[in-house]
Amino acid sequence: MIEEKRILYEHLDVPDINTFDVFRQYDGYTRFEKAIAEYQPEDIAKMVMDSGLKGRGGAGFSTGLKWSFVPRDIKPCYLCCNADESEPGTFSNRYVLEKNPHLLIEGILICCYAMGIETTYVYIRGEFTLGKKMLDAAIKEAYEKGYLGKDVRGTGLNIDIYTHPGAGAYICGEETGLIESLEGKRGQPRNKPPFPAVEGVFGKPTVVQNVETLCNLPFIVGNGVEWYTQMGPTYADTRANPPTPDPNTGTKLYCISGDVNEPGVYELELGLTSTELIEVAGGLRGEEVKAVIPGGSSAPILTHYELDTRLDFTSLTLAKSMLGSGGIIVMNETRNIVDCLLNIMKFYAHESCGQCTPCRWGTPWVRDIVQRIADGNGRKSTITRPKFGVAENGRWGDTGETEEIYEDLDLLESVANNIANVDTMTWNTICVFGIAVSWPAVSYMRKFRPEFEAAIREGKLVTLSVAEATVPPEENYAYQQRFVPKEFADL
Amino acid sequence: MAFIKLNDLEVEVEDGTNIVEAARQHGIEVPHYCYHPGLSRPANCRMCLVEPYVFFPPAGAIVPDRQLATGCTTTVRTAPPDRKLDGKYDFIVQTDSPRVKKAREDILEFLLVHHPLDCPVCDQAGECDLQDFSHRHGHDKSRYLEVKNVPPKKDLGPDVLLYSTRCIVCTRCIRFCEEVSGSGELGLIHRGSHDEIDIPRSHDGTPIQVLDNKLAGNVVDICPVGALISKDFLFKSRPWFLEKANSVCTGCSVGCNITVEYKPDGVYRLKPRFHGDINQYWMCDDGRLGYHYVNSEDRLQLPLKRVDDELTPTHWADALTVITEKLSEVAAEDILVIGSAQGTNEDNYVLQQFAHDVLQTTQLGLFGQLPGEEHKFPQFSIEADKNPNTAGARTILGSANGNNVLEGDALWEKVSGAKVVYLVSGAPERPLEDAEKSALESVDFLIVQDILPSEVTELADVVLPGTTFAEKDGTFTNSTGWVQRIRKAIDPPGEARADWEITQQLAKQLGGEMNYHFAGEIALAIAENVPGYGDATHQKIGDAGIKLT
Repeated sequence: MIEEKRILYEHLDVPDINTFDVFRQYDGYTRFEKAIAEYQPEDIAKMVMDSGLKGRGGAGFSTGLKWSFVPRDIKPCYLCCNADESEPGTFSNRYVLEKNPHLLIEGILICCYAMGIETTYVYIRGEFTLGKKMLDAAIKEAYEKGYLGKDVRGTGLNIDIYTHPGAGAYICGEETGLIESLEGKRGQPRNKPPFPAVEGVFGKPTVVQNVETLCNLPFIVGNGVEWYTQMGPTYADTRANPPTPDPNTGTKLYCISGDVNEPGVYELELGLTSTELIEVAGGLRGEEVKAVIPGGSSAPILTHYELDTRLDFTSLTLAKSMLGSGGIIVMNETRNIVDCLLNIMKFYAHESCGQCTPCRWGTPWVRDIVQRIADGNGRKSTITRPKFGVAENGRWGDTGETEEIYEDLDLLESVANNIANVDTMTWNTICVFGIAVSWPAVSYMRKFRPEFEAAIREGKLVTLSVAEATVPPEENYAYQQRFVPKEFADL
Repeated sequence: MAFIKLNDLEVEVEDGTNIVEAARQHGIEVPHYCYHPGLSRPANCRMCLVEPYVFFPPAGAIVPDRQLATGCTTTVRTAPPDRKLDGKYDFIVQTDSPRVKKAREDILEFLLVHHPLDCPVCDQAGECDLQDFSHRHGHDKSRYLEVKNVPPKKDLGPDVLLYSTRCIVCTRCIRFCEEVSGSGELGLIHRGSHDEIDIPRSHDGTPIQVLDNKLAGNVVDICPVGALISKDFLFKSRPWFLEKANSVCTGCSVGCNITVEYKPDGVYRLKPRFHGDINQYWMCDDGRLGYHYVNSEDRLQLPLKRVDDELTPTHWADALTVITEKLSEVAAEDILVIGSAQGTNEDNYVLQQFAHDVLQTTQLGLFGQLPGEEHKFPQFSIEADKNPNTAGARTILGSANGNNVLEGDALWEKVSGAKVVYLVSGAPERPLEDAEKSALESVDFLIVQDILPSEVTELADVVLPGTTFAEKDGTFTNSTGWVQRIRKAIDPPGEARADWEITQQLAKQLGGEMNYHFAGEIALAIAENVPGYGDATHQKIGDAGIKLT
């Protein structure tokens, strides 16, 4: 039986942990005090780099590396905490904000000290009214106790935190969209470069960090890098010479929902497999696993063939998916993948900010195609074509067989790939929303093609059995010709 | 200068140039919608994608970058010697690789999914970027089967209509209102595929603010599709039937460069023309919509003379005879010649030559439109002087009498003492102030050369039909000393003639020796005789104008 490894969530259930006094009893703010007493700001930055902490918001970018891009000579520099947690299937930051807001404040203090930042903006999702209330109260308390404001604890540091509620747009969780919204403009992502580390809030260098990332900082400082790096697997990227370590250290707040018996947030070491995670969450509800979405609704889906894929940043990247925000959605055999895709596409078509052409008009188009298939109006050609696949010689080519042409599936794949090409990982859009749309669209369609074909053929939604619905892994095309993982070896 | 490889060309471009401009300079088209050189660059249309090349260390080779880059935001800079690509290039970019072509096709397909394809009834057809680029870079058929969005048509302001269905949401108009006019009337409402351009409205849809700033007409020009349409030009003509003449706006002393678009039966619209030091890409609505007097039915077409206290049409020979008789009766000091700030330098030069050589008077005045309001915008200004050529007329008339040209009160004082006044006006709808009116009424014999019946012509004894800026060649000097050309677009109505021709004819009848055949010839004389205008020949001025030193 796999145990939860609670670090961020350790004291989450302590009554009144949201008050300063109780938080203080559980080592609250001692890590910050240790940081300013024992370390120089550069040391903290180095510790974060050495810890291998990866951003927990979605992209999994190394936090230490991100900090190193921030020019140290341009002031003011801002910290922007991204608490706009809006990826469907993700709900971990919310508990931190509602139950243990002082932990976030401590993380912010350490980051501010390390980067010489005086002003922090916490951009909170508008729907988190309770979270904002709790955080505001905690910030007020921290001001009263002298942990925020002018001359923090007599150290000469000036640190202010402002909270800012969002207005309900998914895209404002994208870092530059968030910055635009914070500045009072329409929440539309910016062109990059320049990245926020160079030109962010009000045109100044800005560190944008997720709540969960910041909450990791007190523990890295408090318990040391060595303690932290023991958690989670570290791979070696053998594509570089000599191989570079590719750490997936620490714990992750996995938000497990869908067909499991005990859905919720589970703090676990990185590197567990989907099967293990389902077990932690009280086991599967239903007969068998049909599919698992590993990282929020924008992540490519995993089939039951891929349940042994470890849910960490590197392994999922190699599986052509992503850990994203850690929002894991489990689907059992009763789920219809076409219906699931329609649900997700409705969300994305509604949430496209409409700034750039491919996303503005591509996402509703994709939704409409899926809708048509789900309504039983999908188009199928009366003619056939040569089937391409793994040929007799074991290579990709003409298999000598013929296949039926499902025009709408070809169209769906083509339109989604025109927004952002999932095979080459290139997008024509301004931000990665484009790939967040085409990733699910293309991966669902390729991996569960029989179900889509059945919907078109039968003129209605047909839920096939797991074995029938899933394309086997030998069809490399569906699994996007996965990397051979031997390039990455356990260190 | 940066040395770049642009497709197969090796070219030099200035540092800071973006790829769209660099390609344009060398005759390569990079299609784009949201990018406009006079505005900021949001790179939201994604049409100008190009393929930059980068050095990829593991392969030790120069390879296409993984992502395509938008040409409008990718600027070229001289690279340090150790960062040169291939040892010599500062930048390598492909604008026509298969990847780029595919991306363009895809973007165009997206742009057209909700487009109504109503080119046959669209005003923009023929000068529409969506039409042109679809034709050159797009698919030939649509794969879109779903229901199209049909947002409503909107009335945005006095001269601007929005056909929302045609809009591609490039936001050029929004950025124009924010950055150039500074008025910010336009914005986006809704989100995603339901994005619409709109003005602020209350809940019941009544406008809170309309698009009525003095530069509003420019949003129609910069709209790359037929979404923003000028009510003034709506359904008047197909753009390909219009001929074009490069000219200068006569609305004020800024001297915005314009294109007069016309058919033989009249002027149809004025469009701004780029001039980096004067008007950039813009012009104001006063100038843009102020051309209607050219096409007016009331235009003076025949000379008029006063018979029994009424102005009666006559023929040129008669009118000129009446004038010459009168002029030869009076002494030189009783004659006052008034040039026009609406007239070209050539008109005024012939006029001063007529006054100086033929009439031998040194009494010269300057007449023009009354001053109006001044407007300042973040990137544009409209001046109070509503004449295009005050500076030029003043200098050129002044060259005859030692720069002692009468203006304002001094002029009207002199008018009331003069026996014969030869007044060239050319200012449309010019009201007369009381002092001016009483001064002109006291003149024995008033010769007025004008384009439209006005309060001035009512007082005249002889009226000679002159021409507007659209009907003659010449040059204007603006308030900052730029000498620029206007060109003849349409023929003058009836028997109206260019002002300098009339003056020359009069001079000939009085025995003067003037024999100019066309305006350029007069400009040569100006260049020879007027200090400071040495370079101001038509050839040297060209389309760009020259600045007086």
